[in-house]
Amino acid sequence: MEYWAVKIGYFLITLGIVTVYGLLLGATVARTMAKVQGRIGIPYWQPFLDIIKNLGKRTAVSHGVMFYLGPVFRIAGGIGTLAFIPVIYGSEMFSNFNFAGDLLLAIYFVFFGQLGMALGAGESGHPFSAIGVARGLGQMTAYEVPFALAIIAIVIQYDTLSINEIVAAQQGGMTNWTLFTNPLAVVAAMLAFLGMTAYPPFDVVTAPNEIPIGPPTEYHSSFLAMMATNRAIFAGAKLILFMDLFFGGANGLIEMVIKTWAIYMVAVVVGASFPRFRVDQSIRFFLRIPTLIGIASIAFVQIFLIA
Amino acid sequence: MVEGLLAPINLVIAALGAGFLLPLIARRSEGSAHALFWVTQLYLLLISGIWLLRLMNGAPAVEIITAGIQPPFAINLYFGLFEAFVVTAVNLSAILGGWYLLNYFRGRASAMSVYLILAMGISGMVMTRDLFNLFIFIEITALATYGLLALDKSPASLAAGFKYIIATSLASTFFLLGTMLLYYLTGTLNIDDMLLHLDRITGPIGLAASVLLLVGVIIELKPYPANGWGLDVYETVPAGVAAMISVGVSAGAFFALYKIVPLLADFLPVVAAVGGATFLASNFIGLRQRNVRRMLGYSSVAQIGLMTLALAVLNMLDKAEYVSLVVGGLFINHLLAKAGLFWLAGAVDRPGTEDWVGLRRKPLLLVLLGVLLAALAGFPPFPGFWAKWELIMQLSAGDLPFWVFAVLLGSLLEAAYLYRWFGFALRDAEQPPQVEKVGRLIPIGLFALSLLACGHLIANWLGLDAARVLVPVYMGILLYALDGMPGRLKAIVVLAAFAAYAYPVAMGLEGLHWLFGLILLLGGGVIAFAVLHRSDARKGFYPLLGMLLFSLVSLLDASTSLQFFFAWEILTLSSYLMISLGRGAKKHILTFLMFSLGSAFLIMAGFGFAYGETGSILLSDLSNVQTSATLVYTLLILGFLIKAGAAGLHIWLPGAYSEAEDDFSALLAAVVGKAAIFGMLLAGLHLAVNGAGAVDQVNYVVGWLGVITAFVGALMALFQEDVKKLLAYSSMGQVGYIITAIAISSQLGWVSAGYLTVNHLLFKGLLFLAVAGLVFRTGTRLMYKMGGLDKNMPMTFISVLIGIIAISGVPPLTGFGSKWLLLNALFDKGWYWQAGLAFFASAVAFLYLFRLIHTVFLGQRKTAHKDLREAPWLLLVPQILLIVAIMAFSVWPKLLIDPITTAIAGNFPEALIWEGTALKSRLGYWDGFMVINIVAGVFLVPLLILLFLSRFMRIQKVKQFNIVFAAERPATPETSHYAYNFYSFYEKAFGSFLKPRATAFWDGVSEWSNTIGSTLRVLYTGNGQTYALYVLFYVVMIYIAVGGMG
Repeated sequence: MEYWAVKIGYFLITLGIVTVYGLLLGATVARTMAKVQGRIGIPYWQPFLDIIKNLGKRTAVSHGVMFYLGPVFRIAGGIGTLAFIPVIYGSEMFSNFNFAGDLLLAIYFVFFGQLGMALGAGESGHPFSAIGVARGLGQMTAYEVPFALAIIAIVIQYDTLSINEIVAAQQGGMTNWTLFTNPLAVVAAMLAFLGMTAYPPFDVVTAPNEIPIGPPTEYHSSFLAMMATNRAIFAGAKLILFMDLFFGGANGLIEMVIKTWAIYMVAVVVGASFPRFRVDQSIRFFLRIPTLIGIASIAFVQIFLIA
Repeated sequence: MVEGLLAPINLVIAALGAGFLLPLIARRSEGSAHALFWVTQLYLLLISGIWLLRLMNGAPAVEIITAGIQPPFAINLYFGLFEAFVVTAVNLSAILGGWYLLNYFRGRASAMSVYLILAMGISGMVMTRDLFNLFIFIEITALATYGLLALDKSPASLAAGFKYIIATSLASTFFLLGTMLLYYLTGTLNIDDMLLHLDRITGPIGLAASVLLLVGVIIELKPYPANGWGLDVYETVPAGVAAMISVGVSAGAFFALYKIVPLLADFLPVVAAVGGATFLASNFIGLRQRNVRRMLGYSSVAQIGLMTLALAVLNMLDKAEYVSLVVGGLFINHLLAKAGLFWLAGAVDRPGTEDWVGLRRKPLLLVLLGVLLAALAGFPPFPGFWAKWELIMQLSAGDLPFWVFAVLLGSLLEAAYLYRWFGFALRDAEQPPQVEKVGRLIPIGLFALSLLACGHLIANWLGLDAARVLVPVYMGILLYALDGMPGRLKAIVVLAAFAAYAYPVAMGLEGLHWLFGLILLLGGGVIAFAVLHRSDARKGFYPLLGMLLFSLVSLLDASTSLQFFFAWEILTLSSYLMISLGRGAKKHILTFLMFSLGSAFLIMAGFGFAYGETGSILLSDLSNVQTSATLVYTLLILGFLIKAGAAGLHIWLPGAYSEAEDDFSALLAAVVGKAAIFGMLLAGLHLAVNGAGAVDQVNYVVGWLGVITAFVGALMALFQEDVKKLLAYSSMGQVGYIITAIAISSQLGWVSAGYLTVNHLLFKGLLFLAVAGLVFRTGTRLMYKMGGLDKNMPMTFISVLIGIIAISGVPPLTGFGSKWLLLNALFDKGWYWQAGLAFFASAVAFLYLFRLIHTVFLGQRKTAHKDLREAPWLLLVPQILLIVAIMAFSVWPKLLIDPITTAIAGNFPEALIWEGTALKSRLGYWDGFMVINIVAGVFLVPLLILLFLSRFMRIQKVKQFNIVFAAERPATPETSHYAYNFYSFYEKAFGSFLKPRATAFWDGVSEWSNTIGSTLRVLYTGNGQTYALYVLFYVVMIYIAVGGMG
C-alpha cells in the first residue's frame, strides 16, 4: 500500500512538472511564432490564465454523455501516455508506471485519448468536428508509417521493446544516441513528429487560423480547460518519448527540458517556414519520402548494425 | 416354377415378347396394352431386384447359354452382382421414367414397345459376355433409341434422331469389324475365352482389332468432340426419354466398356485421356449453356467421361478393387441424380435456366432440385462425394497429379453451371414455375431419397460409422420435417439439440481441438442464441442452421482427413444455402460457392497427396509426409486461405458476409470463418511444426499474404457506405493478422493466433449482432442514413464502442494484447517489414472504426429515427455475454493466454513467461491487469474532477441542432451529418492504388473459362455429315494415339 502511495505521489509530481512545462512550452512556441510574424505575442503565463478562466466559467451546454466524457477521455489519454513512459533515466521518482508495459503500450495508448475525444466531438453534432477528426485520423495513419518503421528500426537495433533499456543503450556520450548511431530512423521519426504536432504544413486537421474545426469546435468552459491542460501533458509525453528513443533520454530535469525543447523547435521552425498541405497531400507526403527513409533505416540496421 | 419365372434370361425374353405383343394388343384394347407394358416393366424390375438381393447375400453368379448351342449362334449371358446392380438401376429408371411418358405413350403402343425393347437392349449389353451378342444388343439399343426419337415426328427430333443413328451405326460398324478380327485371332467371341488367349491379340491385326473394338464402344459413350450427335437428342426428346438415354443407354455402353477393358490393357492411358478430355471439355462447354436439358446433356457426357477416366486409371494403377466404389459410386450418383433432374426438368418444363426464377416459392421443388444438384456436384453425403474422394486418393497415390487437378477443375466447372441454374431457382419471381401433377414428383423424390440411402450405405462400406458421420445431414432433415413449428420453438429446438450433441464431443477434445471446441462450439452457441430475437417462421433457416452447427461438431470430431473433409463440405453447403436466404444475396452466392468449392478441392488434393505418400488418411499421419510436404502444405493452406478470405482470394467474402441474414452474418464472420483458421492450424501443426518435411518458404509467403490481407481489408473497409460490408472487410483484415500469426510458427506466433482468433470471435460477433439490431430497427444498412442513435439505442452503442476498442488495439481492452503478442512474435521471428505493414494496417483500421461509430451513433439523428427503440433484448443478451468476456479477458489476460498456451504446449520452445500478472517475452513485457487499473485511475480522477466542477457550472442539456453551422442553425439532419463519402481525401491520396484488381482478375478468369467453353463448342455445327466426319477423325486420332502409325 505504501509502495503504491509513494508511486502515485511520485507520478503526481511528474505530472505537475510536465503540465507546467508543457504549458510554458506552448507559450514559448506561440511567442516564437509571433516573433517570426513580426508580432509581440502572448505573455508566458497566458496558457495558465486561459485554463483558469475557462475553469471559472459559470455556464455550459452539453450535447450528451459522450460529449461530456470526451475531454475526460482526452486527458486520461494524455496522462496515461505519460504514465507509461519513464521521464528521467535511472530515477525511481520519474519512472512513472513504466513497469506495466513496454514501448508498444505507450505507442498504442496514444490512441486512447484521440478515440475518446473523437467520440465526444462527434456527439456535438457539428459537422466540422467530424470533418476535423476524419482528417486528423487520416493524416495520423500516414505519419504512423514512417514512425512505426523508425520504431521497428530501433527495436531491431537495441533488441528490446523496453523504453528503459533503449535509453540505457544510449548512455555514455552523445555518439551513442540513436541520432548518431541510426540517423535514418531519427529522420523518419522526426518527419512523422511534424505530423503529430499538427503545425504547418500539417495543420489542416484543426485549421486553427480560420474556422476552427476538429474536436474543439463545440467545446467550451471546463471542457476546454481540460483539453488545453491535456494538450500540454500530451505534448510533453510525446516529446519525452522521442527524447528517450532517439536522443539518449535524460539524466536530469534540466537535460530533459533542453532536449525536449530542442526537439519541439524542429516542428516550430518547419511550421513557421511552410504553407499548409491539403490532407490528401500530406498523406501522400508521409507515404513517400519519410516512408522510404523509414524503410532505409530498417535496411540500414539489418545490414550495418546487427549483421 | 417360380424359380423359372425369376431366371435372368427372362429379362430379355419377357421384354422382347411384350414388345412384340404390345402393338397387336393395342389394336384391340389400349388399356390392356398399357397394363401389359406396366406389368412387364414391374416383372423386369422384380427379377433384377430379387437377383440383386440374392447376389448381395452371396449367391453365385448365373451363367446362361441359350438354345443349348454355343455362341455366337445363341445368347451368352452372365449375371453377377455388378450386372444385377446396373440392370436393376436401369430397370428402375425405366419404370419410373415411364411415369413421365404417360402422355407420350397414349395412343402410341409402338412407343411403349420400343421403350421396352430399349430397356431390354440395355440389359443385354450389360449381361452378355459375348462380343457378337454385345454388337447385337448395341444395335438393338441404338435402333430403339432412334425409334423413340423418330416417333416424336417434330423436325428437330427427326434431325436429332438421324444424326444419332448415323453416328451409332458407324460406331457399331467399327465394333463389328473389331469383333471379326478378334475372332480371327482368338477363335472365340467370348470375352472370358479371349482373356485366356490375350497373347494371340498381337501384331498389326491385333492392334487394329483392339482399336476398332475400343472406338466402337467409346463412340457410344459420346466422347468430346465426336459427340455433337448425342447432345441434340437431350434437347428434343421428352424428358423421360432423355433421362433414359442419359442414364440407361450410357450405363449399357459404359458397362460394355467395363467388360472389354481387360482386353485393352495397353490402351488404358488413351481411354483415360478420352474420358478426361471429355469430362473437362464438356464441363467447359456446359458453362455456356442456358438451356436446361442441353446443359444436363453436357453434364451427362461429362459424368460418363469421368467414369471412363476412373475406370481406365484404376485399372492402369492395378487398383481394380476400387472400381466398385469409385465407378460404382459415380455411376449410381449419376444415374439417380441425372434421371431425377431430367424428370424434374420435364415436370417443370421451362427450357432456359433463367426461366426457373421463382422456384423458391415451391419449397418441395426447390428441395428436390437442391438435393439432386448437390449430389451431382459431389457434395456429401451422396455417393458421388465418396466416389470422387476415393478417386482423388487413388489418383494421388498413383502419382497422377495431372489427373487430380483435371478432375477437380472439371468438377468445379460442372458445379459452376449447375449452381448458376440453382441460383436462378433461388430468386424470387411473381410467377413461379408450376408442376401440373404433384404425383409426378414421386419418382424424383424416390431417387433423391435413394441418393441419400446410397450415400449412407457407401459411408458404411468405407468403414465409417455412417449413422454418426451423417448426423448433421439427418439433423437437417429432421428439422426440415419440423419446419412447420413456430419460429422461436424451432430456434430453441436447434440450440438445445446443438448443446446436447456438442457437449459430450467437446468434453473429449484435447489441445488445439479443445481450444477450437471452445471457439466454434461455445462461441457458436452464444452467437447463435441471437436467432431467438425473431419470432417469425423463417422457413428453411433452422434446418440449415442445425446442419451448420452440427457440422462444426463433426469438424472437431474428425480424426481422419475424410471425416474432416466431409464435415468441411457440409459446412460449405449449409453456409451456401444459409447465405442464399438473405434478400440481396442472390448475386453473391455463386461466387461464394465457387470459391468455397475451389477451396474444398484444393484441400482434398492436399489430403490426397498426403495419402499418396503415407497411405493413411489419419490427420495425425500428416506429420509423416516428407517428400511431398511442400505440395501438401501449399494445397491445404491455399484451400484454407480462400475460406479465410486472404487478399486476392477474398472477393466472395464481402458479398457473402454482408448479404446473409443479419444474425447469421454474425455467426458466419465470427464463428464459421474460424473453421478455416482451425484448418490452417491443423495443417500447420502436422506439417509445419511437427512435420518431417520443410515448409518454411510456404510460411514465408503466407506470412506476407496475411499482412497484405490485413492492409487491404482495412483499406477497403474505409470506403464502404454499407455497415455490414464495412464489417465484412474488417473481418477480412483481422483474419489477415491471424494468417500471419499462424505462419510465424512459433509459440509466440501461435499464442497470438489463438488470442486473435478468440478476440475476433468476441468483437466481431458483438459488432455484427449490434448491427443486426440496428438494421432490425432502422431497416437500412447504409450508414449515412443513420446517425445520432446513441440516445435511442444506448446498449447497442456500448456494444459497438467496446467492439471497436477491442478491435483497434487501444489499451486497456483485449485488442492491445493481440497487437502486443503479434508484434512481439513478428519481431522475434525477424519479420520486420511485415511488422511495418501490420502497424500501418492497424492504423488504417482506426479510420473505419471511427466512421462506424460516428456515422451511426453520433452526429445528427435523422428525423424519422426520433422514436426508435433499443434492439430486442434477445439480441442484446449474447452481446452482453460477449462484452463480459471481453472485459474479463481485458482485466485478466492470463485467463485467455493460459489456455491457449496449454492447447499448443509441447510443440514449441517456450517464449512467454508469466511473472505475476506481467507477461514477458524476449523483447518486451506487458502487465494487462496493471494497465487496466492505471487506465481506470487516470480516467476516473479527471472524471471526478469534472463532476466536481460541474456542480458550479450550470450545464444545460441542449437538443439536436443546437449548434451553429454554415452561419445558421441547421434544420435538417441531412445537411449537417458528416457521413457520406467520409474518407474521400483518402481515396484521392491513394488514387489508382485502390483499383479493384482482385475482382478484375477473377472476372477475367470467369470470362476466360467461358471463352474456352465457346471455343470448344465451335465444333458443334449441328450438321449430321460433319458429325459423322468427326467420328471418323476421332477413330483415326485414337488409332494414332495408341501407336497405330508406328
